Amino acid sequence: MNYTDEKIIKCSEFEELLTDYLDGALDKQTHKAVAAHALRCPLCHALLNEVKDALELCHEMTAPKASLTHLEARILTMTAPETAMSCSQFEEHLTDYLDGFLPATLFHRWERHAVLCESCTDLPGEVVRSIAACYTYKMDELPIPEGLHAKILQSTLGTTKAKAVKASWSSQAAEWMRGFRLPISIPQLAPVAMIMLFAVLFFGSTVSADGSFGGVYQKSFELAEQTYKQSADAVLGGEETNEKKSTQEPVRGTFVDNEEKK
Amino acid sequence: MEALKIATENNGIELVRRCRAGDGSAWEEIVSQFSRRIFNLAYRFTSSVEAAEDLTQEVFIRIYKTLDQYDAKQGDLANWLMRLARNLIIDDYRHRQRNPQNSMADDVEDHTFHLRAVGTSAQKEIERRELCVQVQEGIDKLPPDLRTCVILRDIEELSYQEIVDVLKIPEGTVKSRINRGRIELAKVLRRMRVVNI
Repeated sequence: MNYTDEKIIKCSEFEELLTDYLDGALDKQTHKAVAAHALRCPLCHALLNEVKDALELCHEMTAPKASLTHLEARILTMTAPETAMSCSQFEEHLTDYLDGFLPATLFHRWERHAVLCESCTDLPGEVVRSIAACYTYKMDELPIPEGLHAKILQSTLGTTKAKAVKASWSSQAAEWMRGFRLPISIPQLAPVAMIMLFAVLFFGSTVSADGSFGGVYQKSFELAEQTYKQSADAVLGGEETNEKKSTQEPVRGTFVDNEEKK
Repeated sequence: MEALKIATENNGIELVRRCRAGDGSAWEEIVSQFSRRIFNLAYRFTSSVEAAEDLTQEVFIRIYKTLDQYDAKQGDLANWLMRLARNLIIDDYRHRQRNPQNSMADDVEDHTFHLRAVGTSAQKEIERRELCVQVQEGIDKLPPDLRTCVILRDIEELSYQEIVDVLKIPEGTVKSRINRGRIELAKVLRRMRVVNI
């Protein structure tokens, strides 16, 4: 870098050129000279920073977000009135908005109403505060009124001296036994129990004396025949004894043994 | 944490087993463990210390009679007990709404009792207590349906599904009642200058 061509400025000149410098309105050489002076002189460097900060602050103040949103909302309401939301619709969606469940289209319409409607604008904040108040209330429990425990014990145990009420051996044993009723009460075992019960009933009642299943059917045929004969006798009358003898045909099953003995 | 939960559950099962066997001290332990919660829930619905006291007593008599029905598989003792208490208290509340001559709501003395019952040491503490009294007064002014939903959601902190189960009404109705109830409560508290911005 060629230092001989460098333009040198004084502190008084720096102050004069400062605004143009920040606006970028200086020619290249002067701009460089101002920057070089700011680096060399701590006082002018501090001044530059102060002015920069003040300008930034001014920018922020002149363009607040809220007023833009308000303006935006007003423009949108005037240009697209069909997307406006009524106060009742606004209230209807309030919890969904607070929970973050409002779909995007409704969300923007809801926020626009919140900004524009004077009677609704404070409501979301108030609802949040009242929920918080409920939470404070939850945390603040009333103490139990004096004597309530005694009343409860008296009305349930029949005495206020609960420790004097001991479990008897029999009731303890009964309570202990409760735990052992479990196998049947386990739902998964219920079908198994049913099958076993069915099997016991089936085998217990249908196997005839000789151990065969067929005897059952023969027995039922025989019984049916007997019933038929009895009713026939009742209608025709007489010869009951002879007829009855003739029906005692040997059948397999329970009667076989008798026949064999004969 | 899991171990603590299991220990609490086992403790509950053991307490109930001893109660069923006729052990008075086990029942006393259940009463002292849950009476404050149940009494406060009853107070939120009745707004009266006396009525809440009577209701708490009734709830415990019912619990004592139905201890046989407690099944550890359906959840731990605290859940089962509070569910039962909630159902009984809401039934009572609904019954009182149908028969308003029994209603003891809006009893100013009861609310002031709340204030008197506590120490007046710090200003902040007094303000907090006052806020609680105002919240109860605000809740008292809500229509019964909205009041029930607000208490269950924002004070008892039940989920939507739990409220559906307790009140046996559709989820959509629960949601809209909670929303309406919150807005109405906020408006009541605004008029009372509690939540003004």
